[in-house]
Amino acid sequence: MRTRGAAPDLVTDYAQDLRLVPNGWTAAGLLLLAAIFVTGPNLFSGFWVVVLGYAGVATIGAVGLNLLTGFTGQVSLGHAFFLGIGAYAAVQFGMNWGLPLFLWLPLCGVMGAIAGAVIGPFALRLRGQYLVIVTLGLVFLGEHVFKEWRSLTGGGTGTAVRPPLTLGPLDFSGMELFGTAYNRQQMLFWLIWAVAAIGILGAKNIVRTRPGRAMQAVRDRDLAAEVIGISLTRYKVGAFAISSAYGAVAGALYGALQGFVSPTEWNLFLAIQYVAMIIIGGMGTVFGAVLGALMLTALPRLIEDVSRRVDMPFVSGDKGGPEGFVTIFSVQRAMFGALIVGFLLFEPRGLAAIWLRFKAYLKTWPFSY
Amino acid sequence: MQTKRWRRTLVASMLAMALVASACGDDGETDTTTTDTTTDGTDGGSEPATAPGFDGETIRLGVITPTTGPVAVIGNPLTAGNQVRVDAINAAGGIAGKYPIELAVEDSAYDAPTAVQKYTSLKEDVVLFAQLLGTPIVSALLGELETDNIVAQPASLDSFWVREDNLIPVGGPYQIQAVNAMDWWVNQEGNADSVICFAGQDDPYGEAGFEGMEYAAEQMGFEIAADVRFAATDTAAEAHAPNVQRLAGAGCEFVFLTGTPSNSGALLGASAGGGFTPTWVGQSPTWVNALAESPLAPYLAAYYHVMTDGAEWGDASIPGMAQMLDDIAAHRPDQTPDIYFVFGYAAMMAVEQVLEEAVALGDLGRDGIANAMSSIETMEFGDLFSDYGWGPAADRVPPRVSRVFGIDPEAPEAGYFTPLTEPFASDVATAYEF
Repeated sequence: MRTRGAAPDLVTDYAQDLRLVPNGWTAAGLLLLAAIFVTGPNLFSGFWVVVLGYAGVATIGAVGLNLLTGFTGQVSLGHAFFLGIGAYAAVQFGMNWGLPLFLWLPLCGVMGAIAGAVIGPFALRLRGQYLVIVTLGLVFLGEHVFKEWRSLTGGGTGTAVRPPLTLGPLDFSGMELFGTAYNRQQMLFWLIWAVAAIGILGAKNIVRTRPGRAMQAVRDRDLAAEVIGISLTRYKVGAFAISSAYGAVAGALYGALQGFVSPTEWNLFLAIQYVAMIIIGGMGTVFGAVLGALMLTALPRLIEDVSRRVDMPFVSGDKGGPEGFVTIFSVQRAMFGALIVGFLLFEPRGLAAIWLRFKAYLKTWPFSY
Repeated sequence: MQTKRWRRTLVASMLAMALVASACGDDGETDTTTTDTTTDGTDGGSEPATAPGFDGETIRLGVITPTTGPVAVIGNPLTAGNQVRVDAINAAGGIAGKYPIELAVEDSAYDAPTAVQKYTSLKEDVVLFAQLLGTPIVSALLGELETDNIVAQPASLDSFWVREDNLIPVGGPYQIQAVNAMDWWVNQEGNADSVICFAGQDDPYGEAGFEGMEYAAEQMGFEIAADVRFAATDTAAEAHAPNVQRLAGAGCEFVFLTGTPSNSGALLGASAGGGFTPTWVGQSPTWVNALAESPLAPYLAAYYHVMTDGAEWGDASIPGMAQMLDDIAAHRPDQTPDIYFVFGYAAMMAVEQVLEEAVALGDLGRDGIANAMSSIETMEFGDLFSDYGWGPAADRVPPRVSRVFGIDPEAPEAGYFTPLTEPFASDVATAYEF
């Protein structure tokens, strides 16, 4: 935003570089988002409120994974395990022990952090693909443990997740506000996105301050980082802990939103979905994680919607009926894979980079090329 | 540089279109503010007020069933059964001759979390759920149904549903099937000393069958020598090799099977391949006609039996069956004999009775349906299925009748079944408490 004769849009000191809201456009954008947040359940139909609820959960998880993979460079395929821990911690602390919302939700994060801190030391010994394999093993270990731990998880049956959802005067399991009755999914839309906003703010703050710089140094050249005095133990284990805390909170809110979880949900495909979110969104930016989460939550719904109206060739279960040799499920999963490959080939920096280029185009108009 | 640019532009524009398309997607949906129905309070003759799923003209019912995946072999015929009955009702004008029914079908892929999501997206737009297929799906949704005060027809025969106010169970429960099967084997066929085993899905459905077995074991004084569980998704014969080993290793001479067609077929195939030949009795959902058309047919003819409630296909002396055959001829003439079709048809008969009662009482809202449920005295199926003593859930009397069928690969017109017994209710089954 430039006035006539003013200095061009340059950053002239560190404080300005670190600002969360650097200019009027960003402030306006944030206000718009806040307005959408407040009017969300009235603005969107019931179906989309639920989808956005799931998108909010995915955002929290993706932002956490991005801190680990995008900023610290520790590729992890184990995020599903931490989501599962969060969901079952919600069952234990919320449902079984009856703790109030402001206690059980942070406690779920703490459980996630503890689990992450236990896994973290593997990252000190292993790098790159070896760490990926270990985190992969974590997912399968988790699946087995969750299935066997019947008293907590219900085993093959799954378990209802109904923790208390009251926070002061607000009852997130459904209440009347200013004359309109809001059901559980609509109230949870607000809770989830409020928590997501807190999470995004936290992540942004981590990233733009000292820990963030240390994490990025570890990502770029961990040996050199250690040489200049950055404690690898602290930052690698810490990154795992924080990312798992985010994942656990996401899992807990997912359980509360869905009302029911089954041990088969915390599987490899879920972990891949989160990795897809941060790759497609843009690995080194918090904004990218949010974009990726939004897009990849809406996409399966979009495919389903399209399949209901259009008879797609080769697809069974769509408008054309049961003929076809791939199911819509398979199409959805294939899309994830195709998107990951496509983005890595053509736009490795993800949607965030596309957005930044678009912004740059506008900023430099009419001299953009 | 140019080629990279156009690729990026292509990707960007595809994404932009996708996002725009998704935004244009479903925005026309009805909004979610819950409409409270104002009941007229009068009965008979008054038009029911509009309610979720009822706009004054059409009654919309939800169906959450696996239309894809391994359990679609049950879901699709069952939904077809629902649909044929709906077509017949609509041909006569609809419920009470005035309100045609519309089914909103969603795919659960036999996955509980998927089913919960579909339920959430459908629930504000339907009067009730005409079909929720799968014991695990119904277990998952029971809490939601109670909270939302919505009624559903569970396409599953767990005895657990008998005492649930929000459910419309139909047919003799799995536990009863198990007990009657054991009565046939132990008492009628006199095999009290044989080695008796159980194989079932590792989920609430498997638990239901096992519960019946345990009860029978207690009452009849035998022991279950081996208890093998497998995942519902174990549809490859190789996955069952360890299960067959365990059963054969325990020396099982009789195995009661609580599975669905794909995993049951795989287990039976693995057993046939491994030369394991006990007497098998499977619950009704283990069967699919394709099994009798497969290379497994001779093994099944020799060793396999199915427990089920319900009339023989084509037996026009039974009024319910005659009516069903007429409706099939009118609305779905190429329907082949299929026990799941029969179940879907009978289930819709039960739903029809609830809706008729609700319209008679003048209220199709949530409370109106709940009232209608407790006002009905008996659910009748014209002997297609045994009558069900109805009323409030605490008073219901489910049927205790089952029948043992053998497999006859030469009889497609009878659904490949050949009855080995008359329909019977064993003493142990009659004493079973729900």
